Amino acid sequence: MGTFDGILLGLSTATTFTNFAYCFIGVFLGTAVGVLPGLGPVATISMLLPFTFGLPADTALIMLAGIFYGSQYGGSTTAILMNLPGEASSVVTTLDGHQMARQGKAGRALAAAAIGSFFAGTVGTLFIAVSAPILAGLALTFGPAEYFSLIVLGLITSMVLTSGSLLTAFGMALLGVVLGMVGTDVNSGVARYTFGMPHLMDGLDFVVIATGIFGLGDVLANLDNERVRAASVAPVSTLFPTREDWKRMIGPIVRGTGVGVVLGVLPGAGVLLSSFSAYALEKKLSRHPEAFGKGAIEGVAGPEAANNAAAQTCFIPMLTLGLPGTATMALMIGGLIVQGVQPGPEILSQQPALFWGLIVSMWIGNLLLLFLNLPLVGLWAKLISVPYHFLFPLICVFTAIGAYSINNSVFDIFLMTMFGVLGYFFRKVGAEPAPLILALILGPMAEEYLRRTLLLSHGDASVFLTSPLSLGTLVIAALLVVSILSPRLRAVRDEGLQEAD
Amino acid sequence: MNRRELIALGGSAALITVTGGASAGDWPSKPVTVISAYPPGGTSDIITRIVADLLTAQFGQQFVVENVAGAAGALAGGKLARSAPDGYTILVSGSAPIAANKVVQKNLAYDPQTDFAPITVVAESTALLTASTKAPAQTFPDLIAYAKANPGKVNIGNPGAGTKGHICAAMIGLQTGITLNHIPYKGSPPLMSDILGGHIDFALDAPSNYLPHLKDGKIKALAVTSAARQPELPTVPTVAEQGLPGFEATLWFGAVGPKGMPVEIVNAIQTSIKAWTETPEAQKKLASLGLVPVANTPEQMRGSIQREIDSVKALVEAGLVQPT
Repeated sequence: MGTFDGILLGLSTATTFTNFAYCFIGVFLGTAVGVLPGLGPVATISMLLPFTFGLPADTALIMLAGIFYGSQYGGSTTAILMNLPGEASSVVTTLDGHQMARQGKAGRALAAAAIGSFFAGTVGTLFIAVSAPILAGLALTFGPAEYFSLIVLGLITSMVLTSGSLLTAFGMALLGVVLGMVGTDVNSGVARYTFGMPHLMDGLDFVVIATGIFGLGDVLANLDNERVRAASVAPVSTLFPTREDWKRMIGPIVRGTGVGVVLGVLPGAGVLLSSFSAYALEKKLSRHPEAFGKGAIEGVAGPEAANNAAAQTCFIPMLTLGLPGTATMALMIGGLIVQGVQPGPEILSQQPALFWGLIVSMWIGNLLLLFLNLPLVGLWAKLISVPYHFLFPLICVFTAIGAYSINNSVFDIFLMTMFGVLGYFFRKVGAEPAPLILALILGPMAEEYLRRTLLLSHGDASVFLTSPLSLGTLVIAALLVVSILSPRLRAVRDEGLQEAD
Repeated sequence: MNRRELIALGGSAALITVTGGASAGDWPSKPVTVISAYPPGGTSDIITRIVADLLTAQFGQQFVVENVAGAAGALAGGKLARSAPDGYTILVSGSAPIAANKVVQKNLAYDPQTDFAPITVVAESTALLTASTKAPAQTFPDLIAYAKANPGKVNIGNPGAGTKGHICAAMIGLQTGITLNHIPYKGSPPLMSDILGGHIDFALDAPSNYLPHLKDGKIKALAVTSAARQPELPTVPTVAEQGLPGFEATLWFGAVGPKGMPVEIVNAIQTSIKAWTETPEAQKKLASLGLVPVANTPEQMRGSIQREIDSVKALVEAGLVQPT
């Protein structure tokens, strides 16, 4: 099936009333959780995942995807109006976005963010439509050794991109790998780290842990600084960018889109890296780097375009290789497997309606988001002022229902609560949970591919270096580690991530 | 217990489902979980989904498939053994977790002969030996010759240690005197990806996933393990034709519940499956997957399990299948 036929099929799938409605629900919810500080897409998707099991696979995926990229739009609203990143990848947007708001240019900043995101979303979906079939064809050249190296790269990227010390990030990733080992070994059937508890024989459910750390953990952390949170909301005046604004933002939007499209595909990097990179790039290219941080529209348009482009293209490795580059993508894979759909190279030939329907729905979703975010920005601004004491009991209830309904097991609620407390502890000591979550998913996959590679090569580990694809991937991973150990680059990383805190 | 009932009951079912313990009389009064022992898309999983759909249609209650993949089905078998025998959890799978794992896996957390209640063998099929187009041998006799000339060099993939693919490969090794390296995969789809990409040279597995790629010439079929050639693969010779007279191995897919499951429920499920296999559309559907319906009684299935275990035990004792 060619790309054009695919898009036609996608149009007929995405425009059915049900799918359109769920796409709208997805982006609406996504915007809402993006706007609300302390409730991110990972927590939302893990809470809502069990509720999608009753939907058809395409509808479920369309809605879950909508929550994810919708939150990229919503996150910028809070960042600009309140100086609070509603979502991790909007951190950079606070730097110039909120400054613009303080200068009475809130509306123009919001417009720059939304228009940048929409352009990036459009290019990102087009990029998937063109490149995913190519990559799915190439996917067969990825053997166990190449998969293993890709996973290593993903884990290292996520460690390097985490704020705080590299050692902490490494420790978190290691803990994630160990947690991923809990349960029955896939090759031999040996029970590992189960302490004789039958509940642990099937392993720790990733959704339960993600809900605990990101859902409940965030609630606890937010309650901790509830009094500090009462920030003021900047008023929104005109939403129309001036001619001068347009001239200044076109370049950053195009460049940011390029950065985001490329980095989104890289496993482990995700949306956060792309917004930081786009900001750094704009600052470097600008003739007035001193204006950055004081309300430069370039500093809003570029990173916002980049994070939304990455939010689209990070679906590519998930769909074509079955390799989740981020926690959100791992949740999507979990959702698809429940539906009887195995993500991987075969998805294009076996589930063309699902694949193309998702792509077309993403573009429709981006269009919906443009309208949802610009004219309705006042509504979202009101949502921010909903007192947290109405919100957090609701989140607690939903996390509990979500955790329970995965296996209908009360044990999972206890487990979720335990990881909620652990998540709070991680925040308190400044340990980012992202590497842990990613390692929890990628660790068992890495083990499976490592063991298979060595079985196939009769125990000869040099295959990782003799396969050009695997070698290239490992070299990139090694460069990343070296770069972070070099003091100069380390300073750049720390500066970039400092702003995130 | 299962996932979809929450939606079915509007999200508030959380409070109700804890009670459980329904009597056989009103079964099924709530959705039933059908465990699939392999990832989505493999033959075993396809059969699980077919059975879940036919039971849903028969009983007017949702039969929801849950994939519990890993350790050649031992994870799924363990989960079933730990489930309440109330008729709301059953397992439909290839024979490994229901039989062979007992002798192939040293650390199996359950005993399939005492912890399960047999329901029926749904269908059986041949196993198919395929080669990647990059493989050093493209026919069965060439494979034997190559393996003899290069001892320890031949990798052959199977959908999990102790699956019939693994057992058949060990039997071929035993009877031809060649050494094969058995590489376990997590079900058929990843094994098929690797053989399509040429990362592994040979695979022995149920045929349904491989049929479309054989037609496209992307992989080569070397042999079927059944006594006679298959209607779906008329040009593929049997192992018996190619130097191992009398060789016959079929793989089967069956349904079991936890030990102590009410007999009425076992019989209700067995009768429904049997009635379905007698319909023309069922026979057409199964034939397209390279399967032949069986639908025997629970007692007959107990015999199938015993025979399977005995045959694998012989291989283990001969040192041809290493228990892990």
